[in-house]
Amino acid sequence: MADLPGSSSWKEWLLNYSLYIILGVLIIIVVIYEPNFLSTRNLSNILAQASTRGILALGVAGMIVYTGTDLSAGRILGVSAAISASLLQSVTYASRMYPGITEPLPLVIPLLLAILAAIVFCLINAFGFAVLKMHPFIISLGTQLIAYGALCLYIDSQANGAQPLASLDPRYISAVNGSFDIGFMNLPYLVIYLAICSAFMWVIWNKTTLGKNMFAIGGNPEAAAVSGVNVTRNIFGVYFVAGILYGIAAFLEAGRVQSVTTATGLNYELDAISGCVIGGVSFTGGVGTIPGVLIGVIILQVINYSLYYLGVNAYYQYIIKGLIIILAVAIDVRKYIAKK
Amino acid sequence: MRPGKGRVMLFMCMLLAAMFVSTAAMAASPRIGILIYKYDDTYISTVRNALNKALDGKAQISMQDGKGDQATQNDQLDVMIERGMDGIIVNMVDAQAASGVVDKIKKAGIPVVFFNREPNLDVLKTYEKALFVGTNAADAGKMQGDIVKSIWDENKYDINKDGKFQYVMFKGEPDNPEAIARTDFSVSQAVLNGVKLEQIGETFVCNWDTALAQQAMESALAANEGKIELVIANNDSMAMGAIAALSNIGYNVEGGSKLIPVIGVDATDQAVDAINRGIMSGTVKQDGEAMGNAVSAIMLNMINGKAPLEGTGYKYDDSGIAVRIPYSPYVGK
Repeated sequence: MADLPGSSSWKEWLLNYSLYIILGVLIIIVVIYEPNFLSTRNLSNILAQASTRGILALGVAGMIVYTGTDLSAGRILGVSAAISASLLQSVTYASRMYPGITEPLPLVIPLLLAILAAIVFCLINAFGFAVLKMHPFIISLGTQLIAYGALCLYIDSQANGAQPLASLDPRYISAVNGSFDIGFMNLPYLVIYLAICSAFMWVIWNKTTLGKNMFAIGGNPEAAAVSGVNVTRNIFGVYFVAGILYGIAAFLEAGRVQSVTTATGLNYELDAISGCVIGGVSFTGGVGTIPGVLIGVIILQVINYSLYYLGVNAYYQYIIKGLIIILAVAIDVRKYIAKK
Repeated sequence: MRPGKGRVMLFMCMLLAAMFVSTAAMAASPRIGILIYKYDDTYISTVRNALNKALDGKAQISMQDGKGDQATQNDQLDVMIERGMDGIIVNMVDAQAASGVVDKIKKAGIPVVFFNREPNLDVLKTYEKALFVGTNAADAGKMQGDIVKSIWDENKYDINKDGKFQYVMFKGEPDNPEAIARTDFSVSQAVLNGVKLEQIGETFVCNWDTALAQQAMESALAANEGKIELVIANNDSMAMGAIAALSNIGYNVEGGSKLIPVIGVDATDQAVDAINRGIMSGTVKQDGEAMGNAVSAIMLNMINGKAPLEGTGYKYDDSGIAVRIPYSPYVGK
């Protein structure tokens, strides 16, 4: 490059911090219109709203590192959410799905079943991708429909016919929606759950063979295979972990919204994928970080939240959101182009 | 190169700095937040227009589109409460999720009026500043049943002369209470009126959608042409889909000789036009304008500390916290 050294490092700085700059600019714009925006309540709202999507995104991110994607994440979340909600309906609610449950179940049982269901769907995706050599886009397009069908059947199988799974156990609701008072602000449990999942995923991505091989395969599958990486096993491992995250996200989402219907989870995968991509997980494979995913999801939620906050017309919201996603990724992509 | 600790710190600092600068601004006229379940719903659009008109100049309104997703609507509610709205008007996406919504609004201590999709009224009773304006879901179905009876009495549509109406049913959503009530009561009312009914095939669940209903009707006609004598749909959009499928094979064409009666709900402009042109047989009007006017008048009363129904001419139903806007049948000019 013919640039002066000073200007080049300035550019590099701008590129490296582009996501944070975009986020900062967004917040400043909102504050100009609505000075009230700067409050601890808004901060905790944004983080809590980003939590379930964030956990879902942490799962999808691994698949994007493989140059794949997962279109079924949202519907899988729907199925797992229905399982959690149906098992945790208040035992005094007459039209609950399982009238046989007369004593409240320990919360951990529905959580584990939700995780189990999500893992099953994820392993189907992994099988299609790793063994049948299908593109993840296609196999997950299929599982997405299967998951939706299963969700509808499950919700329709109630004794009184199809109705939303609601009237949830108060213990469940407070375990999901509660918060700590840490003096200057309320810290929602949801944010803590997101933090725990992120830490777990950071360790997997950075400190385990599973994570390291995942990046190797994402960067260059042939080279990884030649150098002795068991590609199939690695793919199953990554999808298995994603299933755990989907199940947790589903359990939390059902408790957060407090009602599960056939529409639960619709298009969640798109939010999760956008979050990953904004956060620098590259569709060309082999690139991505956990903090990046988190920032991506939070940026997306700040966009959502501030557009609601400013009271922007709903249809313009789509356009603005689309433009910001394109802008963010266009800038972020520069640094990888420069690197390659 | 990947975002390390430095960048995360920078981000946290930015948010933390933001937190400590908090100011309050007061608006002159009351601020009302309005949460709509979905913008592209014909009936709800008439309510939205009526709300806009009725509140114009009397309040600053902020309206949001829930996009058919309860999670989105909950997020929007958080924002409205945080923006310091003086009152909230809610059209639930999923009425069963109302307890969470009521809890949030209760904490904020502001009045709320729910409309259209009916939450469990016992949930609303947990908060003294919560009211519901709706219709009686069963009434729309019953009026459809009455229309079925009057069509039967015309004595021209029992194609196979077996003394029974063979009908197909189009249902909105599997788990929507209005859809369930309309589906059940249209049939039970017709039977109560002495019409014998026999359903052909399974109930088609077409998500209130014209295109889906058209597809379903096309395949039903392919399988049962000549056997279907009546179409009952939970809303006009699906009724229009059924008519489109019928007209493709020569039924229900303006000025044509063959007509299979189609009955919807909503009295959308399109359906009213179809009825006037003689290709549809009836619909039930849900009066969106009356709904919008009632909701806004009640909301303003509550914000201004008056009795909620003062000056509206409406009365509570038996629950003591709900107002019902009546339906009316429409079968042509």
